Formats: sequence, structure tokens, C-alpha cells
Amino acid sequence: MSSPYLRRRITNALAMVMSTLATLVGLAFLAWILWETLRQGISALDLKLFTKITAYGESGGLANAMVGSLIINFIGIAIATPIGVLAGTWLAEYADRTRLGESIRFLNDILLSAPSIVMGLFVYTIIVLPTTVLTHGSTTFSGFAGGVALALIALPVIVRTTDEMLRLVPSTLREAALSLGVPQWKLTLQILIRAARSGIITGVLLALARISGETAPLLFTAFGNNYMAINPIEKMSSLPQIIYQYANDPGDAMHALAWAGAFVITMFVLLLSLASRLILSRTKVSHD
Amino acid sequence: MTDSAIATNPAQAAAASAVAPKLTVRDLHFYYSGFHALKGISMDIPEKKVTAIIGPSGCGKSTLLRIFNRIYAIYPKLEAKGEIVLDGENILDPGYSMNRLRGKVGMVFQKPVPFPMTIFENVAYGIRHHEKLSKTDMTARVEQALRSAALWDEVKDKLKQNALGLSGGQQQRLCIARAIALKPEVLLLDEPTSALDPIATSRIEQLIEELKSQFTIVIVTHNMQQAARVSDLTAFMYMGELIEFDQTEKIFTKPGRKQTEDYITGRFG
Repeated sequence: MSSPYLRRRITNALAMVMSTLATLVGLAFLAWILWETLRQGISALDLKLFTKITAYGESGGLANAMVGSLIINFIGIAIATPIGVLAGTWLAEYADRTRLGESIRFLNDILLSAPSIVMGLFVYTIIVLPTTVLTHGSTTFSGFAGGVALALIALPVIVRTTDEMLRLVPSTLREAALSLGVPQWKLTLQILIRAARSGIITGVLLALARISGETAPLLFTAFGNNYMAINPIEKMSSLPQIIYQYANDPGDAMHALAWAGAFVITMFVLLLSLASRLILSRTKVSHD
Repeated sequence: MTDSAIATNPAQAAAASAVAPKLTVRDLHFYYSGFHALKGISMDIPEKKVTAIIGPSGCGKSTLLRIFNRIYAIYPKLEAKGEIVLDGENILDPGYSMNRLRGKVGMVFQKPVPFPMTIFENVAYGIRHHEKLSKTDMTARVEQALRSAALWDEVKDKLKQNALGLSGGQQQRLCIARAIALKPEVLLLDEPTSALDPIATSRIEQLIEELKSQFTIVIVTHNMQQAARVSDLTAFMYMGELIEFDQTEKIFTKPGRKQTEDYITGRFG
């Protein structure tokens, strides 16, 4: 065996060992996190967690926080999805390779990495303060304001994925449709969005997974509420906010509830990721 | 290229084919953001014949084809100068309706690109944009297009299935069905078999033979045997110029110019 060949084999083996180790380290931490949340929260993981509200404290559950999280996340996604998909479509189909398009793409990337507490403070200033003044203090913090803050976090994620997914659609598909005489708007709506559909849906699910764990933007906007609130103009509780609050409490029972809440969020995010993977792989019949 | 006038005399080629020209190209120049890609092309493309355009990579053959339905216009910084007359009207005239042009001139691309919808919808989609048809008429029209594209027997039981599930050769015939469903007068084929296996290729070539009674076909190919098999006339292009345009038989047996002979005998390109 020649020496360069032997050297290559050794380099290859080394690289293999290193990358496998790196993967194992990453996976080990993930498993550890899952295991720890389950171990610490198992004592509070019962029916009461889903039926009782936080007003009962130690003997209560997290029902109002779960409902609040669902409503706030729904508002966030409902606002961010149409704006994000339209903006992403504009970037990919109408402004590609233009100076304006490139600038907006760059600004969107900055928004993507903006600290989430900034979004909370921003929404506090543009929604919470004005409503407080206008309603003479009867409406202050609200689930809606929380939803808007989360929408600002989800928006750049959706813009980015829509833009990228559309740009992955081969240009020959555009040419084929245009060569039938179909105008640009029909091409975009009826063919390109359809071709990129699974990728766009995945982007929305990933954005949802991202915002469902956010705490900071909700502190100044949805604030929290120990009772069940359905109306989005009321103060509203959410899982991350309750976890934050209970983790600061000295009682062990409160800690267990916080861990159980953390476990619920983790599972929710895990299921969302699995769902998005499933959607992507199911429609993997691509054009290439 | 003044001496090329004899060999590329379009009147001569058209006269030889004894049919009226469908497309008349007059002194066509094309620029890719300043790069002079086509240098004064003139040719008459006869009606209901197959005209093949051959030449080495980068000679401008695809560029020329892509001007015939102005698909190039979707990209910025491309410019065509000159005239292309289709049925007495210059299609390069900015006033010529793109919708009308693309209804009259259909195109099939190198790679099969079915739309992400059912097989039926792939064919119906273009028709629906140009005409309002009843459900029965539409069904009949789609069937007719699929039959003309020699695909009907293979797909008649799965019209509601996604077109992306078809094989490459079937997808390409679906794209041909989609183009001819609009009843165009001219059909442009841009290396339609280069992504297909030999069996799928021979089916497409057979199909071209069948379709030429209804359509004026222009095919760009890098495969000289294919040009020799399917076309009535052949144009040889090199470096953005039309070197020779004549009856296919003549081009392949006694080409009028040295460059053509060198290319078809494999001495360059």
C-alpha cells in the first residue's frame, strides 16, 4: 500500500471519529435536557396540570397558561404568515437581483437576529402605552400585544424561508408557464407557491416552534394572568412566562409545575419539528 | 460574413422546400448585457416542416429559439434587434401582444418541467388561460392533446394523479401535450431529448414526425444524428452566425461550406 493512500485512510478515519463524537455530544445534551425536564416535572404531570388554573398556586395547574400560549401564538402566526409569505414572494419573484430587494433582504436578516426583548419593548411602546392612555388605564397589557410581539419575531423567519423556497424552484418552471402565455401573477400564485408549498409551510411551523418558547417579549406585552383569559384584549398568561415566574418561587411544588410546563413546551416544539419534517419528506418529489 | 449570402440564401432554402415561410427572420441581432450573441441572422422557416438548428455549444442556437416566443424577455438586460415576421406581423414589435404570441408559438424545454398539479390539470391549465371551455369540451381537449403527444394510453387511468410521479420521458411528452393543447402554429423544441434515455428519445422523435403535419416545428439539438433523422431543413450556426441553412439531406451529404463539413464530420465542436 502506497504511503499517500495510507495517509488518506488515516485522515479519513480521524475525520470520521471526530464528526461522530461531535454528533454524539450534541445528541447527548439533547437527551439530557429532555430527560431532566421529564424527571423534574413528572410529579406535576397529571390531569390537574391541564385542567386547573395557576390561581390555585401549588395545588393548581397550568391550564390558563396553555390556553394563553395557544391564543398568543395563534395571533402571532396569523399576523406574520400572510405578511411574511407575501414579502418573501415579492423578494424572490419581483425584486430578485434588484438593489431594493437586496437591501430589504439584508434588513430582514438583521430583524431575524434582533434580540427578542427589543421586540417586547417596541410593542410595549407602540401598543401597550397608547392603549393605556386611550382607555384611561382600563386596557393595558393584552394577549393581543403579546401576539404582535411574537409576530415580529416570526415574520423574518417566514420571509426568509418563503424567499429561499421560491428561489429553489427551478427557473425552467417559470419559463414553461410564461411560454404558455400565463401572466406573472398567475404563475406566482398558482404554480410557484404551489411548487414551494411544503417548504413554506415548514417555515411557518418552524417560526411557530421558535415563538412558542419566547418569554422576554411577553413580559412587557401579555404580562400574565392567574385566571383563565380568552379575550385577547385582557392580560394573558403563557407557558414561558409562568415557567419564568415559578422558577423564581422558593417552593418545590412550584418548581415541579415549572418543569412540567417546560416539558409540555419541549414536546410541542418537538412535535412541530417532526410535523414539518414529515411534510417536507412526503412531498419530496422535486423537479430535479 | 458577406460570402455566406449564397449558402444561407433564405429564399433558396424556402424555394427548395417549396412551401411558404411561416417565420421570416430578418437581420436579427441579439445582445446579452452588451455581448453580441447573434450577428445578423436571416432565414425563412417553412410552414409544417421540421427545421433543425445545430451547432457547437455557445453558438447561439438556443438563444435564437428563445427569441421566437420572446421568452428571453423575462430576464433583464437582454436585447433583440431586427425583425421576425410571423404571419405578416413583426413579433419583436413591442406592441405585439405577448399573450397572443405565446398562444401561437409553443415551447418545450430541455428538462421536462411538469407543473406541481395533476396530469389533467397540467394540460388544462394553459387552455383555461386562453379559452373558456365547458367541462366536457375541456375533457375532450385534454384527451386530444394527450393522444397527439402519444401519452394517452399510459395516463388515461391516472389523470388525477400528480404529474411529478411520471417518468422523465412521460413528463416530457406531457410537456409537449401541454404545449400543443393550446393549438399553436409553431412549436419550439429546445433540446427536448437531452435529458432522456434512448427509448424515450426515440418515442419523442417519432412524435415529432407525427406532429409536423399540424405544426411548424423548430428544434434545437446538439445531436447531429437526431437532426438528420427528424428534420427537413437544417441550419448550422457558429459563433452567433448562421453559416448554412438548407435541406437536411444536402447539409449532411454535400454541405456548401467548409465549416459545416468540418462540424458534421466531427472535426470541431
